[in-house]
Amino acid sequence: MLVIEDCRLTWPDFTADYSMTVQTGALCAIIGPSGGGKTTLLHMIAGFEIPESGRLTFDGVDLLPLEPAKRPVAIVFQDHNLFPHLSAAQNVALGIRPSLRMSEDEIRLIDEMLEAVGLKGFGGRKPGEMSGGQRQRVALARALVSGRPMILLDEPFSSLDPGLRRDMVQLVGDLRRRRPVTILMTIHTPEDVASLADQMVFVADGRVLASDSPSAILGGTLASRIAAAVSDG
Amino acid sequence: MRGKLPHPGSLVAFALLALVAGGFVALAAIGGERPTLLSIGPYLWRVLAFSIVQAALSTLLSLALGLALALALARRRFPGRGMVLALLGTTMVIPTIVAVFAVFAVYGRSGWAAEIAALLGWNNSFSIFGYPGILIAHVFLNGPFVARILLDALSLVPAEHWRLASAFGFSPAHVFRHLDWPVLRAELPGLAGLVFLLCFKSFAIVLALGGGPSRSTLEVAIYEALKIDLDFGRAAWLSLIQLAICLTLTGVLNWAFTRPPTAHTVRGLIRRPDARSGALQLLDAVILTAAALFIAPLAFSLLSGLNDIPDVVDADLLRAFATSMTIAVIAAMIACLLALALASAARRWRVTLRSPRVAAFYDFLPNTLLAVPPFALTAGLFLILRRFVDPSAAGIILLPLINGLAAMPFAYRSLAPRLLTAEERYGRVAASLGVIGANKLMIMDWPLIRRPLGAAFALAMALSFGDFGIIALFGGQDLVTLPYLLFERLGSYRLDEAAAIGLFIVLVAFTLAHMSGRLSHAGD
Repeated sequence: MLVIEDCRLTWPDFTADYSMTVQTGALCAIIGPSGGGKTTLLHMIAGFEIPESGRLTFDGVDLLPLEPAKRPVAIVFQDHNLFPHLSAAQNVALGIRPSLRMSEDEIRLIDEMLEAVGLKGFGGRKPGEMSGGQRQRVALARALVSGRPMILLDEPFSSLDPGLRRDMVQLVGDLRRRRPVTILMTIHTPEDVASLADQMVFVADGRVLASDSPSAILGGTLASRIAAAVSDG
Repeated sequence: MRGKLPHPGSLVAFALLALVAGGFVALAAIGGERPTLLSIGPYLWRVLAFSIVQAALSTLLSLALGLALALALARRRFPGRGMVLALLGTTMVIPTIVAVFAVFAVYGRSGWAAEIAALLGWNNSFSIFGYPGILIAHVFLNGPFVARILLDALSLVPAEHWRLASAFGFSPAHVFRHLDWPVLRAELPGLAGLVFLLCFKSFAIVLALGGGPSRSTLEVAIYEALKIDLDFGRAAWLSLIQLAICLTLTGVLNWAFTRPPTAHTVRGLIRRPDARSGALQLLDAVILTAAALFIAPLAFSLLSGLNDIPDVVDADLLRAFATSMTIAVIAAMIACLLALALASAARRWRVTLRSPRVAAFYDFLPNTLLAVPPFALTAGLFLILRRFVDPSAAGIILLPLINGLAAMPFAYRSLAPRLLTAEERYGRVAASLGVIGANKLMIMDWPLIRRPLGAAFALAMALSFGDFGIIALFGGQDLVTLPYLLFERLGSYRLDEAAAIGLFIVLVAFTLAHMSGRLSHAGD
């Protein structure tokens, strides 16, 4: 279980204070207005932002003293996930080892993962030769290949058109079946993941204001406020 | 209909081509009169070999300094870092003749370095003339510039990549391989070409620090042929060869390394995972100390002139100041008017007449002009003008013209995008209201271009004010600019006065460049 307790981060113009829990193996969708602190929450879990106080544990392990590289976490950003001078396969290989020296088995694993995200035969392509959706698939493959038990997806599909976005969400659902993994994803369009997510949290003003099942969040008393907040985000 | 009148831009383009072609033809005619090429053969080879070797060495050293400095500065945060970056950007505006002074003041026979060596009891037989002085001056001017460009490029690496580097646990070697090197590799060839071209065309530095007739660049050789030997045939051949080389080099550079202009980005602090490596901390400390020891004495050598400013302010200086200012203002007007005419012609072809190819020709013209070596062009035009006017009058015509042409590409670069923006925003409205011609310029374009125009004007003035180029050819009793005055003082080893004059030049040039920067960064 991921446990976040009173993790406080302050900037001159913004204060965040997060408390929430996510069951191991669950898919948790994070919604809320832009600038409300969704991305900061993921960055804190990944280790890019360090809270001044509070507790952050995953399956009993304290994450706060750990460097980003040592945390049980893989992350996919909205954009700029791939290094432009490396091929798709090399970009995936970074998830295993930054030296890019791979064993035969690892090379096979990379091919398998690329196939799993629907990019069989694309391993030699450079990011510049792929579409936005394909690049995000490569980033997903890398998150999976890293073998880390938690994957953070930061608006991973926001720059894609609606049809493609639903395909990608479906892909995430399928991939969960390959390997048990805890997923936290921020998303602009809650309806895309409503059927897939186990949990939905609403983040605004740097706080987790609600955490429940997607149907409760989207259909409950908060619905109108969330809808208003999401539409202006 | 007024539509039948030719657009001012096409007239300007035609005039520019005619000017360059006229100079070229005049050179070819003179060069063809006598079979001088064979007779100057061995001399030409010596000059060419020296030009290429010194330019290649200068480029190599400038890139090495720039690269090391950019990486060290990218990795480190320290108080005063912002000021250091600002200083790096200014070395490009330092007039070359001032750099010559700095080399004399620090490394000359009575310079700081010699004094320190004497204190330590070292025998100082070091002479700055030839390679040492030329390389020091070129690296001083270009190394910090390279560092600045590379730093800007490095800062464009997306923040996500830095987070990925932390998340994957990149070692310093991985950071270099996957984050820094791809950026540097993309920039280095173009930068190397540019620095090589600048050093190959170098004039004032090689003239003052070359220390011998065989240690000349082609520009200096043309100057000597025109001014000292009055050998117009030799000047013509040298100019033709110089033109051919510079145009070819620029053509190759343009063709091979066109890249999108880098955006001015403001970004928060990026935590580089390699900043904590002990070995890199040591390396960066060494690099920053060494770079500071090299750059700071040269950059601050002028301050020794502070006390002497009251002594050098006399009628000569005021007259030279007035001459330099007049030339700078006329040159800036020429640069801005030509750029404006060309940019509006480019816009008309691109947007209204939908012919991007013709527009690209207008875009290309200023770049080509950047490649034309001033002495070669001046030589050609002078050969035409001397039939009609005496040399000092030719200087009064040619100085602002050549300086204006040299500054025009910079003016074009800041004006052309703004004119396009104006068209995109208001072009349709203006067309439907029938606002055209001068009205369109005043109503639609002026609010958007007045700041970049001011910036271009100030920059053109700064470049012209500090220029020590063809003034060397025409300067004398009747025509003295401030840089020429500085050159004279240097020639007679009056270093204190030279420092004061240099300080004066740099203050004016920096003030103008600063104004230019303020204007171009102000919002529209």
